[in-house]
Amino acid sequence: MFSELARKFTAAFITENRWQLYIKGLGVTLEVSIFAAIIGILLGTVLALMKLSEREDGKKSILNTIATVYVDIIRGTPSVLQLLIMWFIVFSTFNNGIIVSSISFGLNSAAYVSEIVRAGILAVDRGQTEAGRSIGMSKAMTMRYIVLPQALKNIIPPLGNEFITLLKETAIVGYVSLTDLTRAANMIASRTYEAFMPLIGAAVIYFVVIKLLTILLAHVERRLRASDKR
Amino acid sequence: MKKKIIVALVLSLSVLALSACGAKQSASAKKDIIVGTNAEFPPFEYIDDSGNPDGFDIALVKAIGEKLGKNVTIQNMEFDSLISSIGTKTDLVIAGMTVTDERKQSVDFTEPYYTAVQSVIVPVGSAIASFDDLKGKKIGVQMGTTADFISSDIEGAETARYNKSIDAVNDLLNGRLDCVIVDKNPAETFVASHTGELEALEGSNFDFEDESYAMAVAKGDAEFLKQVNDALSELKADGTIDKLTEEYIGD
Repeated sequence: MFSELARKFTAAFITENRWQLYIKGLGVTLEVSIFAAIIGILLGTVLALMKLSEREDGKKSILNTIATVYVDIIRGTPSVLQLLIMWFIVFSTFNNGIIVSSISFGLNSAAYVSEIVRAGILAVDRGQTEAGRSIGMSKAMTMRYIVLPQALKNIIPPLGNEFITLLKETAIVGYVSLTDLTRAANMIASRTYEAFMPLIGAAVIYFVVIKLLTILLAHVERRLRASDKR
Repeated sequence: MKKKIIVALVLSLSVLALSACGAKQSASAKKDIIVGTNAEFPPFEYIDDSGNPDGFDIALVKAIGEKLGKNVTIQNMEFDSLISSIGTKTDLVIAGMTVTDERKQSVDFTEPYYTAVQSVIVPVGSAIASFDDLKGKKIGVQMGTTADFISSDIEGAETARYNKSIDAVNDLLNGRLDCVIVDKNPAETFVASHTGELEALEGSNFDFEDESYAMAVAKGDAEFLKQVNDALSELKADGTIDKLTEEYIGD
């Protein structure tokens, strides 16, 4: 049994330097995830602020409606379909798979990030805004100097969580012919007709990367909580 | 920390153990066999108008089932899943699969049932005409097919690997690729639906070698392999295969 396992291991990782394919695949996975996260955070914050904007008379603003519809559409459709629509329809003649995938996942992630940011801002006590306004700060100043710094503490932990989800979700970029980590494992299986080792290997690599991220996030969270002790 | 490592080791060993004890019962004794395919490869396998898998391979495997007195259930799935399914989720796989030495290490192939050659699909008016023209080009293929192996070995060429050949053809139409390499028969089917836009070039212009399609069974199930091979040679002898070739492939 062990010689059989050794043969499978060799075929999956060593023959024709296949381990390099996993590393390259992981590179693609990380590239798409990081670009998408940047787009997601920027657009997500804008969406959150749009959703929080109020008209003087208390009715919903047009910005609010736009953001709400956007989030509804993105959350209401599978990300694999969004990716295929981006690749085959929206950017049908644009060649760079990494950029198209990053945009697709970024637009997707933005919807979730906007909810995280919105919840983070709403969690800051209303009294803080009132205090800022009553000492003569403008709405924008209050948001920037009083509310956002406090909201950040609420936002960063779930944002890390969102990034981990994003990293794993990119496993579908194989649909648009990118060779990410999952795709690399499948590609090797399609050559050897032996799926066990490549799949387990890819799973272990995802796990290690995400475990490292988790440790990093726990550290950041501890630092954020440091000011809570008094 | 030590505890964690021990727990992780125990878990991974149990996965190994579970994977080892699955199946291993010969399919030769089964009355009902499950046949896996990936119905994205016309005319060998495709979904017909009523939504069922049909094609040369499907008809062939049904004829084999009849010879063996077994009920055949066709299961259509992604090509990726097909590979892992052999011997566990499926008893037999027929999907225009090319025999390679490396694959023989993991599955057992039946006798070949068809000889195919690759074609190159190009936009009408393309300058690509010989093997040397492919160097440095962006080539679309279906992952894990012979085309994938050929393209991966072409100097300086960039290979874009798709789940389905038709996705590669779509990207060729979108102008993302210079050409698509795919088996001759599907190539003709794809080109037929885009006359005037695409054309299929004969593989012989590119010195592509012939390849053999075979079915795959679980490694080591010699009894079932023999049953299928016997049925296959009977079907070759009684003209059924020629008849199916004429019906589905036409030359």
